[in-house]
Amino acid sequence: MDQQQTFEGQKKMRKAELIAPPNRLKEKVGHGGIDETVLGKAQELLENNTVDFKPIALMLVDLLHEAISDAKSGSTTGEDAIEAMLYPAMQLKAQGGMFHYPLISEISNILVNFLETVSNTDKDVLDIVVAHKMSINAVLASQIKGDGGKVGRELRDALLDACSRYYKSRKPQ
Amino acid sequence: MSYQFKNITVLVVESTRAMFDLTRSVLQAFGVNQVYSAYGADEGFETFCRVNPDLVIIDWLEDPANGLELTKRIRTDKASPNPFMPIVLMTGYSQKKRVLQARDSGITEFIVKPFTAKALYEKIEQLVEKPRHFVSSENYFGPDRRRKREGEYKGPDRRATEQPKVKTATSTVSLSSAVAKAKEIKARHEQENSGKKDDWQ
Repeated sequence: MDQQQTFEGQKKMRKAELIAPPNRLKEKVGHGGIDETVLGKAQELLENNTVDFKPIALMLVDLLHEAISDAKSGSTTGEDAIEAMLYPAMQLKAQGGMFHYPLISEISNILVNFLETVSNTDKDVLDIVVAHKMSINAVLASQIKGDGGKVGRELRDALLDACSRYYKSRKPQ
Repeated sequence: MSYQFKNITVLVVESTRAMFDLTRSVLQAFGVNQVYSAYGADEGFETFCRVNPDLVIIDWLEDPANGLELTKRIRTDKASPNPFMPIVLMTGYSQKKRVLQARDSGITEFIVKPFTAKALYEKIEQLVEKPRHFVSSENYFGPDRRRKREGEYKGPDRRATEQPKVKTATSTVSLSSAVAKAKEIKARHEQENSGKKDDWQ
């Protein structure tokens, strides 16, 4: 019976229509691609932007702080609490890398990867999130715009180590 | 001869002004003259309906009305001027589950931030040169989610006689309207191009 139901469901899913839409982009841009020099110029514009990332980053850190507080107080729980922390972490990862703060991008990436794997917001999880937030604050306060050299490496290693210890502690024996 | 990006309009829906400015500067370097901005999903949809651009670039945006919801609206809302719109999602997420979530919402291409000019260009080139068919089914309307690598398989084409038949979907109201809109656009295009070489495929 179950098998039949599954089969019926699969048959239903196959009722699909394929449509070839008009390629308006092709009609308008034509052929030939773009020159490598144009790509180079565009990349230069990306790399030489003069955006002051600090106020944006502080706003996102505030959002992260609020999400941590809500999770600690229990006003958000489970997936909602994790999602609330993930969004600012993801934006810090995305924008830090665009606006000359690659170390913030890397720290936030570790945090995003960590939050994508946890399923609750217990004390251990929140301690790790707070450690990331403090590291990001420290990078902003010191205005470390490169990879942070030795200090940056130590910071990354310490955060990765904390995540790794968390995974090990949760591994079934 | 190179791409004439000056002929197209692009809508960029971002979370911050700084990210919009940066994306616009890259598009302008490519030659795009008209780049519209919007912040948030609601403003994004309103601007999309007003401008009816040729390409939309969307950030993941903040819940609940995030970039995926905006994508679904563009694909299925009755007010959408073009449910076939090419949509590039640019986001800091890179985990597989996020890519699948985005794909299932109906995006056309996915770029991970931080991004390079080359990465953005390659996605746009993909939209121009290898546009995807659209699928309309009971629970999905959007670009075909299967990635084909044409020309790689050299063996006999045993399934040549087993091509899927084109069927009409039993859709929900919103999907029906999207399909109706899609057909209307296709019919208009065919009428405009009657007598010309068929360039639909």
